[in-house]
Amino acid sequence: MSDTLEKLTEETAFLDLHKNFVEENKPNSALSAIHESALSRFEVLGFPHSKHEMYTYVNTKKLAATAFAVSSPSEKIDLIDKHIYSGCENSCLVFVNGVLDQTLSRLQAIESSVKISSLEEKDDVDTLLVSLENENDVFACLANAFCADVTVVEIPDKGQVAVPIQVLFVSTGDTSRPEMHSPRLLWKVGKLAEVKVIEKFVGMQEGYFTNMVQDWKVAEGAGVILTQVQSDPFGAWNFQKTRVHIKRNARFHSANASSGSVLVHNHFEVRLEEEGAEVILNGVSVLKGKEQVHNFIRIHHEAPQCISHQHFKNVINDEGRSSFDGTVIVNQGAQLTNANQLINNLMLSDDCHADNKPNLMIFADDVKCAHGATIGQIDEEQLFYLQTRGLSKKFAKELLTRSFAESIVQTIQFPEVVKELNNTLLKKLEVENV
Amino acid sequence: MSDEQNSVSDLLEDNQYKYGFTTDVESDTFAKGLNEDVVRAISKKKNEPEFMLNFRLKAYAKWKTMKEPAWPNVHYPSIDFQDISYYSAPKKKKVLESLDEVDPEVMRTFEKLGIPLDEQKKLANVAVDAVFDSVSVATTHKKKLMEQGIIFCPISEALQDYPELVEEYLGTVVPVGDNYYAALNSAVFTDGSFVYIPPDTISPMEISTYFRINTEETGQFERTLIICAENSYVSYLEGCTAPQFDTNQLHAAVVELVTMDNAEIKYSTVQNWYAGDKETGKGGIYNFVTKRGKCAGENSKISWTQVETGSAITWKYPSCILQGDNSSGEFYSVALTNGHMQADTGTKMIHIGKNTRSSIISKGISADQSSNSYRGQVKIGKNATNARNYSQCDSMLVGDKSSAHTFPYIETANSSVQVEHEAATSKISEDQLFYFESRGISRENAIEAVISGFCKDVFKQLPMEFAVEAQKLLTLKLEDSVG
Repeated sequence: MSDTLEKLTEETAFLDLHKNFVEENKPNSALSAIHESALSRFEVLGFPHSKHEMYTYVNTKKLAATAFAVSSPSEKIDLIDKHIYSGCENSCLVFVNGVLDQTLSRLQAIESSVKISSLEEKDDVDTLLVSLENENDVFACLANAFCADVTVVEIPDKGQVAVPIQVLFVSTGDTSRPEMHSPRLLWKVGKLAEVKVIEKFVGMQEGYFTNMVQDWKVAEGAGVILTQVQSDPFGAWNFQKTRVHIKRNARFHSANASSGSVLVHNHFEVRLEEEGAEVILNGVSVLKGKEQVHNFIRIHHEAPQCISHQHFKNVINDEGRSSFDGTVIVNQGAQLTNANQLINNLMLSDDCHADNKPNLMIFADDVKCAHGATIGQIDEEQLFYLQTRGLSKKFAKELLTRSFAESIVQTIQFPEVVKELNNTLLKKLEVENV
Repeated sequence: MSDEQNSVSDLLEDNQYKYGFTTDVESDTFAKGLNEDVVRAISKKKNEPEFMLNFRLKAYAKWKTMKEPAWPNVHYPSIDFQDISYYSAPKKKKVLESLDEVDPEVMRTFEKLGIPLDEQKKLANVAVDAVFDSVSVATTHKKKLMEQGIIFCPISEALQDYPELVEEYLGTVVPVGDNYYAALNSAVFTDGSFVYIPPDTISPMEISTYFRINTEETGQFERTLIICAENSYVSYLEGCTAPQFDTNQLHAAVVELVTMDNAEIKYSTVQNWYAGDKETGKGGIYNFVTKRGKCAGENSKISWTQVETGSAITWKYPSCILQGDNSSGEFYSVALTNGHMQADTGTKMIHIGKNTRSSIISKGISADQSSNSYRGQVKIGKNATNARNYSQCDSMLVGDKSSAHTFPYIETANSSVQVEHEAATSKISEDQLFYFESRGISRENAIEAVISGFCKDVFKQLPMEFAVEAQKLLTLKLEDSVG
């Protein structure tokens, strides 16, 4: 009985928070419709319990019990320059506490080729509403309910965006009372268009919950390269849901580098809707202390001859926790599917956890599907070999762990990002006392 | 498709039901329904010691608070547990005069599977002449086992003769409240097998349920308990390849295995129960089984081998709890589904002790409109240093309406472990068969070759005669589906 009461209060707290949020923000009718739909879905789903299939390995109890404040969007911040990659100086969108900041964003380089607007078109509203009806991730519902705006980024047909677009999510944070904010984006990539995007999450201090949802509509023959860099401070929650719809012969290549925090949850839902669609999802995480990164992936092969590749690597040390829950679903009739999934975990301490659930659901008979998962340590023989060559044990270990993670980092197509990750993410492997 | 091939599939279906395994409703069959009084009555009827009644009541109390599991990847109309009679005296099947009366198609299956004549008679329920009396064969075996101190008897008998042994081990591997069906079984089971291998004993023969006398019909809630003491070994066989029919639709068995230091149990199952109407999938058996072994001692080993080819729904996860240091667990499985069958099967390997190792080889074959899921868990505890696991789960799809799923759960909390998991999906295609046929190899042999290649790793774990029969059985079942 007490259980039910407690549960009720957790969800009611968020419902009450939403009332304040609406009063402060006064959303327009389109946004209100999304909020309403998302809230009712949120009430149906409720916060996950420990046996919930989507959150089997992710403990969200503490998060659900936290009393958040809604972030105020108007705060001014400096020092964002160091987070802008060179090459993106004139093509960056800056979100401060979940809301696009027009003054900080610089769009000169992409003004002509990219249209950025707030949610207006009825079609877009409908798309978002439809996707909400089938939303099973309670945190994605929450994000939809608390989004102050929906930023629509549109690349017209045959549009070639010359420079990479950087999207920087800055959170100001509040250590005394954690803040919550929900950036919401809709990307519309036109036919045969090409775009490269770097998304980066940073925080000024601890004490916030970034709950991002983005939709990608990738039209026929288009190509998208997405790179995500998560480098929040430890005391921050970072949840994101990326929903991707890929049409005929279009490509969506993504790489995610997470340095972990108290709880990071990446949820990808990819639908290969027409023949020849292709998706690549790569991910790497390096965890220390009590950091956690959880990946949840669903890839739906809805049409024949689509390709999906996933490769995730995690290096886990101290009391770190990592989980991977990925399912490839091959629908009936989706013949000649080629699906691959590989998860490698490197465990460096006795207190860390690595949980994996690589699932396959196949309803077609002429397919090539494979998955693999490994959990292990540094190979003693490799270590020995390096030592025979005069390397110290410590350095040999460092070299091996670094190269393990680096193979994913190197798939990132932006040298600036790789350079940065070498000095941040992979740096974490250096100091450790392995 | 030739007529001959069509008829093969028919024979595995309701043809046999024409012979109506009629049940004489005897006076001591309980009325339908389940309540505490029924549980007490079962215990009384079997004249059980008091601990057993308490065990049953505890299980029943647990069961009442539990819900039917909804997580398996199978769909079926809900079961009315109050519509089942929980105790009935052994049912009688109609006895036939000679093999001539048996359906010729059934005979053809027997021939294909290469079942010996006397065994055929027994399976087809033909009156057996004195020379081949299975009872006498069984008695001889039992005597031979007794000489070595091996106890092999129905569990109801064991409760009378060796209550302290049963009390010590029953429910230690599968607790009364382990899951919905295990709790139900614990409350109402009526019979099953009990095996005890004393220390330093290698069982002189493979023990098979087939030898067990007085247990033609163990009922739908079967309970098996096998204990293998220090330095002992036993191989236990369950089921048979010939199609089995039963009047009970729901089967919820529980099997518990315990191995002490340096002991080993090898448990092989071949299951081929009625799978329901091929067109509609109605009427097949629901096989909801809890099988679990505990490697309690150091260096002990438990090996599960299963060939699952029947039942409308299979829900079964033979598991190993690797508690003793250096203990090992193995799981070899071939699960074939055709028609409208649904199987959600796999294993759990729980590593607790140091240097424990486990390997999982699972082969799923899914034909027609069936659904075949592998669900396996590998859990490595904090103290299981140097634990190793290797899992391989392959699926073969036959026909574009079938489906194959894999749901592995890999959980590790120790850095000295090595866990590998891989899975792949392939198909048996017209091209492959055409190639064989173009080389002058018959279609039947071609299917057999492909299947035997696919399942080789599992079949080689089966006792010889089982392996040969199992392979033929799979070929037979797939004849209709390919091409």
